[in-house]
Amino acid sequence: MRSIGEYIRLYFIIEAQYIKARLQYRVDFIISSIGMFFSSLITLGVFWVIFDTVPDLAGWSLMEMAFIYAFYMIAISPMQIIFDHFWQLRFNLQQGNFLKYYFRPLNMMFYYTSEMFDLKGLTQLFVGTALLIYTASQLHVAWTFGRVGLLFITLFSAALVQISIVVLAACAAFWVLDSYPVLGLAWRLREFAPYPMSIFDGAFRFTFTYVLPIGFIAFYPSQIFLRPEEVSHLTYFSPVIGIGLFALTYWVWTKGVNSYTGTGS
Amino acid sequence: MRKYLAFTRGSFMVGLVYRFGPLLSLIGNFIYLGVAYYLWHSIYKNSDTLRSMTFNETFLYVAIGSAVFILLKTYVDWEVSYEIREGIISTYMTKPLDYQTYILFTSLGQTLMSLMVITIPTLLIITLVFKVAIPLGMGTLLFPLSLLLAFVISFCFDYFIGILAFYTESVWGLSTTKEIIILALSGALIPLQFFPAKLQSILLLLPFQTIYHTPLMMLTKPDQDPQIFVSMLIVQVVWAVVLYALTRLFFEQAVKVLRIAGG
Amino acid sequence: MSLIHVNNLAKHFKVLNRREGLGGAFRDLFSGDYRTVKAVDGISFDIEAGEIVGYIGPNGAGKSTTIKMMTGILKPSGGEIRINDHVPFENRIRQAQIMGVVFGQRTQLWWDLPVIESFKILKEIYKVSQKTFDEHMGMFNELVGLKALYSQQVRTLSLGQRMLCDITASFLHNPQIVFLDEPTIGLDISIKAKIRTIIKELNTARKTTIILTTHDLGDVEALSHRVIIIDKGKKLYDGDTKKVNALFGAYRTLKVQVNDFDEGTLDALKNKLAEQFGATNKITVAQTEEFWTDITIDQALTPLSEVLNCVMTNFSILDVRIVEIAMEDVVQRIYDGALA
Repeated sequence: MRSIGEYIRLYFIIEAQYIKARLQYRVDFIISSIGMFFSSLITLGVFWVIFDTVPDLAGWSLMEMAFIYAFYMIAISPMQIIFDHFWQLRFNLQQGNFLKYYFRPLNMMFYYTSEMFDLKGLTQLFVGTALLIYTASQLHVAWTFGRVGLLFITLFSAALVQISIVVLAACAAFWVLDSYPVLGLAWRLREFAPYPMSIFDGAFRFTFTYVLPIGFIAFYPSQIFLRPEEVSHLTYFSPVIGIGLFALTYWVWTKGVNSYTGTGS
Repeated sequence: MRKYLAFTRGSFMVGLVYRFGPLLSLIGNFIYLGVAYYLWHSIYKNSDTLRSMTFNETFLYVAIGSAVFILLKTYVDWEVSYEIREGIISTYMTKPLDYQTYILFTSLGQTLMSLMVITIPTLLIITLVFKVAIPLGMGTLLFPLSLLLAFVISFCFDYFIGILAFYTESVWGLSTTKEIIILALSGALIPLQFFPAKLQSILLLLPFQTIYHTPLMMLTKPDQDPQIFVSMLIVQVVWAVVLYALTRLFFEQAVKVLRIAGG
Repeated sequence: MSLIHVNNLAKHFKVLNRREGLGGAFRDLFSGDYRTVKAVDGISFDIEAGEIVGYIGPNGAGKSTTIKMMTGILKPSGGEIRINDHVPFENRIRQAQIMGVVFGQRTQLWWDLPVIESFKILKEIYKVSQKTFDEHMGMFNELVGLKALYSQQVRTLSLGQRMLCDITASFLHNPQIVFLDEPTIGLDISIKAKIRTIIKELNTARKTTIILTTHDLGDVEALSHRVIIIDKGKKLYDGDTKKVNALFGAYRTLKVQVNDFDEGTLDALKNKLAEQFGATNKITVAQTEEFWTDITIDQALTPLSEVLNCVMTNFSILDVRIVEIAMEDVVQRIYDGALA
């Protein structure tokens, strides 16, 4: 078995090469980065249009919502940057070129993940960070060392939740011939992550908290910083939920990898 | 025409091969509808109408909009760019086929498939589960026609992005950017009425609104003056023809470049 | 103990029965009608270290399924496989470390990277020492002039160049076994010959065991002393390649495109050939793909040139190709008792 250190070293070796190769297609890189930047702005614009009509959403002001949204943008960035090509898993499986991942003496999720690094996802990370800093200062969030530490921990867990949801959805391709609808659902669900969970009634709130925990991608963890006095105890479980969900995802991935038989005779 | 319709039938049948796909799409859309219901419910908490839209109308608009989204997502951009990159496109040049028409009719098959397994069940869910009545009128009758035109216009955008593969290595970035621009500026996510008045008048001049806003307004406010509907349809037809012609010209230009440069 | 021990190996799949037409496709949406396909159905063999074995059979014979089980990807439904006295499926990573795999059409190198970077990454993945790496890269360079390709992106290589890179890459970590799946598919004759030479040399350099699956009997003829032929999941033949060659090496298929082909053409061809060369000449005439008619002959009995001449003078021929006998024909002839 390889140690984590060896894997990290290998990851950097492969990624460095990969980034070097990607940067050769400068036009594509620039276009997609600009595209990503505008996408972030436009989704923010839609948000603003809604708040232009109503002053608040279930008691949350525009600035608070923008903070949650910034948290959300940062939290989904690792998925975008490191795990984005899990979207393509179904094509790899259908066309049979997934087979090659079995042939190396490497952890397969590592090997699959190492094959891509999405530079344009960094744009989203930057926009999100800038927005978080701005909204936090507007809302007079008091930053202490403890709070900053909590921010990193909650962002890390939120990122794991988002990664798990996408990878889980992608794994459906191991069993279902056309798994796009599952992925499509995962993608559309995350659009709702930055909305206050309090707008949902019973069944949906339960689902988004315990079943498809998109509430943990942005809304619950943001409360620690926005309304510390109202935080529910559940929020502090977010690292457990992030790590637990990822463990489950890894287990499903392993099952899928073992059940895949490839195409052709 | 008949040979192209055969492609429509073919891709329709391919859609049926995937047994779980339609079912999962439907479940996915159901969850999406639920979320949208609560979201708009809380936006409408303190007022019966916002920007001259009632809750019922807005929810209907957003719900049908989500079904239309699935309907129009036919991956033409991915398909065309793939065929260009892999050089498969040149094999079409040797056949007695018009490539653009061929792709249009193939994707129409997928759309009809989704229409049957997604849009119609979605309408049923809206009335039976969410108990939102669907108003009937002149617009309801014109909706299918308007939807077909929206399909052609949306196709043109996808096809255009696909052809860009002649010039760029991958169309991933362009394709996602296009999708988000269309979603935001066409009124797919929120009705155009919610946009500030100035922005609204600009958006109405752009082709994007003819993809979502036009057919959705016909369905949500079906008893308006027929004159309004006629002019909406004319705008759609004009955009459809203009965009179809422009993408066609662009394709021919790109192929010319390819022929000179080799590839 | 042999390096690879396969005993009564089986793999069964469940497959949905699909119906025809639009109505059938609709009914399939709710169908639970499965059947079992026995992709591999009781195969046994032993392979010693250093052997090159041709593992051949027509499409759908179960070749890839067997290979997938030997490489530890698929779990057998029955029987056993032992490689180095280990069960491949139990520890995929250990198995991967001692083997190399090349799948004909699909490269395992990094598509966007220059060739040399792929080799460097492989060095890290397999923990190859710098000394072995330099040694092997030197050898590969001597064999195929790899250096000239170092700075090229894998995606820009021709199919032949890519195959050379893929094959050498699979030997980089000095594996005990290398699986080559259709290594010459789609390549022209001169590259084919080059690839065969290289495989042979790599095999002798390190006594690497090579399992070769192919459609091309020429590959087997050139490379392996032993051939295993399978069909419908069962082993048909396991033995000396020479014996197979003696039987089929002389067979050629003459593919002709007849002008104004119609229903009568096949019979006309048959009659003409029977008239010219006698009825016991073992010449078969069949149409296997659109526009092409296959005439298969045994060169030991009938000279190819005479058959060609006869066909060309009596029919209006648009195009001609001469190919080696197809796997399907070989298998049919074995069923008919050719190797018994």
